[in-house]
Amino acid sequence: MSPSVLICDDSNMARKQVLRSLPEQWKTSVETASNGAEALTILRKNHIDVLFLDLTMPGIDGIGVLQGIQKLNIECDVFVISADIQPEMQSKVKALGAKEFIKKPVKADVLHDYLHQYGLL
Amino acid sequence: MKEFHLTEDQQDCLQELINIAMGQASDQLARYLDTFVYLKVPSIESVAAAELIKSLSQQQDTMAIVSQGFFANEGIRGEALLVYQEKDSGRIADLLGYEPGELSQDEQLIDISSILTTTFLNVFAQQIGNQMSYNAPKLLPSVQNNLSQHLQQMTFSWDLALKVNINYQVTDYSFNCNMILLIPGAAILNIKSVLDRILAEF
Repeated sequence: MSPSVLICDDSNMARKQVLRSLPEQWKTSVETASNGAEALTILRKNHIDVLFLDLTMPGIDGIGVLQGIQKLNIECDVFVISADIQPEMQSKVKALGAKEFIKKPVKADVLHDYLHQYGLL
Repeated sequence: MKEFHLTEDQQDCLQELINIAMGQASDQLARYLDTFVYLKVPSIESVAAAELIKSLSQQQDTMAIVSQGFFANEGIRGEALLVYQEKDSGRIADLLGYEPGELSQDEQLIDISSILTTTFLNVFAQQIGNQMSYNAPKLLPSVQNNLSQHLQQMTFSWDLALKVNINYQVTDYSFNCNMILLIPGAAILNIKSVLDRILAEF
């Protein structure tokens, strides 16, 4: 069974880039959110297995979403996909529970490698 | 002006290319200053270049502008302006840790600007399968008189300015810096067709 996926990014193009990079069999059960607040609403309502999360967004940003997930005890594997590549930010998101930091623009082979690494694929 | 207007999809595509370029430029700045830079979503607006130059020239609180020309294949070219505010001059001096005998503050401002501009534009170009070349960066002090004069000396006219407001908040020393890309009309049309090419892939 393919996992339920949520893609959260304020850019339509970035969401499409992630969607395009997903394994074929995953593309059937994908939800999208264009900001952090939307993502948290979906995460509260539906069970999401894997979240692909942008950091720099207006309103509740990626860090806010990670904090919300911790606070609400939501079980979900988070992969941060961001342009903010500073090492300090990469360790910050991992400290907040993200599995991995993936540099934008996302590439399918890199994404698949991480999914393999965490036994998701 | 109307033909230079970006569609919603073009704007979204450009915004994402700029986010990625800005992320890497900030990473370079953070490494150079050995600090952490907080990123915000940059706002992008296009304005008539003549109006922008006029309003920049009238701004009393502008400390300095560093100007650097860029050009790439496919007829993409322009002038990048980094605008620093007077109110931040003390913080910038602290940040740069200027000591007598080292680089002057002017030279350091030019260095910082050049890191930001060239990293930003290199990453932007790379994403659209292009490559940038640059002129030497130039500091324009006492902006009021120099800016329009400086821009008038150039061989082509600016129709449109793409104003990317980037707010760099550096830990301990926060200062603002606006990056403004002045782009001639023909180059805007070229950028639009590049954006359409990228969008067609989705």
